[in-house]
Amino acid sequence: MPNMNERQQEYAIVTRALNREFRVRLKAEGLAASLRNFFAPQHKTVNAVNDLDMQIGAGEIVGFLGPNGAGKTTTLKMLSGLLVPTSGSIDVLGYTPFSRDHAFLRHISLVMGQKQNLWWDLPPVETFAIHRRIYGLTDQQYAERTKELIDMLEISDCLETQTRKLSLGQRMRCELAVSLLHQPKILFLDEPTIGLDILMQKKIRSFLLDYHRRFKPTILLTSHYMDDVAALAQRVIVIDRGNKVFDGYLSDLTHKLHPEKIVSVVLNNGNFICNPEEGCRLIHQDGQHYRLLVERNRVPEIAARLYATGNIADLTIEDPPLEDIIGQLFTAETRNS
Amino acid sequence: MNIFAAGGKLAVLAAYFKIILTYRGMLLIHGLRLLLLPMVLASAWLSIEKAPGNPYTDSDYLLYYLLVPLIMNLTDSRIVFKFSLAVKDGSLNRELLKPFPPLLGYLLESIANNTMQLLYLIPFSFAFWLFVRDRIVLAHLQPSLLIFFVAAILIGWLARLAVSGSIALLSFWIEDVTTLNLILNGGIWALLGGMIVPVATFPERIRYIAELLPYRYMLSFPIEIFSGRLSTPEIYQGFATALLWIIVFSVIMRIIWKCGLKTYTAYGG
Ligand SMILES: Nc1ncnc2c1ncn2[C@@H]1O[C@H](COP(=O)(O)OP(=O)(O)O)[C@@H](O)[C@H]1O
Ligand SMILES: [Mg+2]
Repeated sequence: MPNMNERQQEYAIVTRALNREFRVRLKAEGLAASLRNFFAPQHKTVNAVNDLDMQIGAGEIVGFLGPNGAGKTTTLKMLSGLLVPTSGSIDVLGYTPFSRDHAFLRHISLVMGQKQNLWWDLPPVETFAIHRRIYGLTDQQYAERTKELIDMLEISDCLETQTRKLSLGQRMRCELAVSLLHQPKILFLDEPTIGLDILMQKKIRSFLLDYHRRFKPTILLTSHYMDDVAALAQRVIVIDRGNKVFDGYLSDLTHKLHPEKIVSVVLNNGNFICNPEEGCRLIHQDGQHYRLLVERNRVPEIAARLYATGNIADLTIEDPPLEDIIGQLFTAETRNS
Repeated sequence: MNIFAAGGKLAVLAAYFKIILTYRGMLLIHGLRLLLLPMVLASAWLSIEKAPGNPYTDSDYLLYYLLVPLIMNLTDSRIVFKFSLAVKDGSLNRELLKPFPPLLGYLLESIANNTMQLLYLIPFSFAFWLFVRDRIVLAHLQPSLLIFFVAAILIGWLARLAVSGSIALLSFWIEDVTTLNLILNGGIWALLGGMIVPVATFPERIRYIAELLPYRYMLSFPIEIFSGRLSTPEIYQGFATALLWIIVFSVIMRIIWKCGLKTYTAYGG
């Protein structure tokens, strides 16, 4: 028995052999085919999520990555209880999500789009008031949490405006505030920064980091901005066409797939020759601006040589964009299969 | 826990009131719709020659169409429109993930909406009554009759909500349930519920059918009670029939809801 307890505390989310299929009607081209389709519709089955096993510990932040249509949203919908799995099992905090027990719903939040939680026709402050009652918060809890969230998210000026009239960034921040009012143990975030400008993306990211530091919820986050994932999650689960292709530390993923770094340098004058024998490859040159792909262990050496020229206007060393890394993962996967 | 639950219901009810106040214009348009048609029908019935054997006098018709807008409104339900929209625009996702029964929200919305309409329906009906009061006989009205009247309105409202709700939940499978609603809840309701022709003036056989079906109880029945044209056994029989329909459609709704959620793919949003 103590063992059981331990295990439950260890994992907030466990899925086993999780599957979800969708039956979709095939579209027909042309009049004859359309007519035929009308009377005898053709269907095909899409395996949106395929045999997914995952375990997520309490308090972890996990980034859920994959190209469009990989099955990320479908998985979040199943984990939060919106969608029934075709087969397999899900255990979230000891509950089966699709039963949507109120005890379960009190401990989770799903942020998917900008009106998953906010009432569209009312100002955000009204949704706050509704949540205070349906989650049964005490006056003190309500006062403390609203103050905290309003400060952290800087939303004091948009609380009284009808939600549908808010800007995307304001709405997203209010949406987050509302979804955190009951202090969920698990937060599911589906593309929380989609459509936002860089500044707002950064704000949301730093808010989430800060919030996690303070309250330690389990966060499962999908995003196609790799920066989001890199900033927030240490662990990533990558899926492609419903199949899990990677589960582990982001840094391992980077090292494994991309053993090079990108050295970006601007010279005052003269030029720089780099040759492949030294583990250095020129990938782009624009006048005095060079972008070099350098093997990780050779980076100090090359950097030293560059400095030795005494001719540097600017130098940066960075990991290749995560997009490229992930992209490589999918091409590798396709090649293997 | 129980106190919280009650607080949640009140908060959601208050929210629906606020939404209606936000869209006052819609309220007015909706109200005009409720008022215009009954007025047209009333003047039509008063101006044509009555068929022999028609039990309704001018006073009956006036009283009937004075009450039609009020009852129509008080038993009104927008669940078909609201629910199909919620499925399409993804707000059902929100309703499903809150510790609050989703369908209860539609019941509260209906309470808020129907109460707000009274704000101007009552003054308007009163003004109309002042205008025609010498032609209406109300001598028979007793307190017991008024209690039956109020109870009949409540029952009618629940019956309408249960029938409309069952159609609304078909939105899980059918993209556009409004056409179906227009036929079942608009057409048949207007004919057999007694909006166009008072049920009491139907030919015998059709009246019998109308009394068996749920539609009469959504409109005609409370007015028939109010006008003093029903005996006490007839009133009890009416309540029993309406209650039976409410139970039947509540069970149907539950079944559709359970099956619907399994096919629901939470696409919107
Ligand atoms: N409601 C649905 N009906 C039919 N197919 C769907 C539905 N939702 C998702 N799919 C399909 O399932 C696959 C996974 O979709 P999704 O989970 O939305 O991917 P992601 O969020 O990773 O972009 C896609 O092929 C998509 O077309
Ligand atoms: Mg998605």
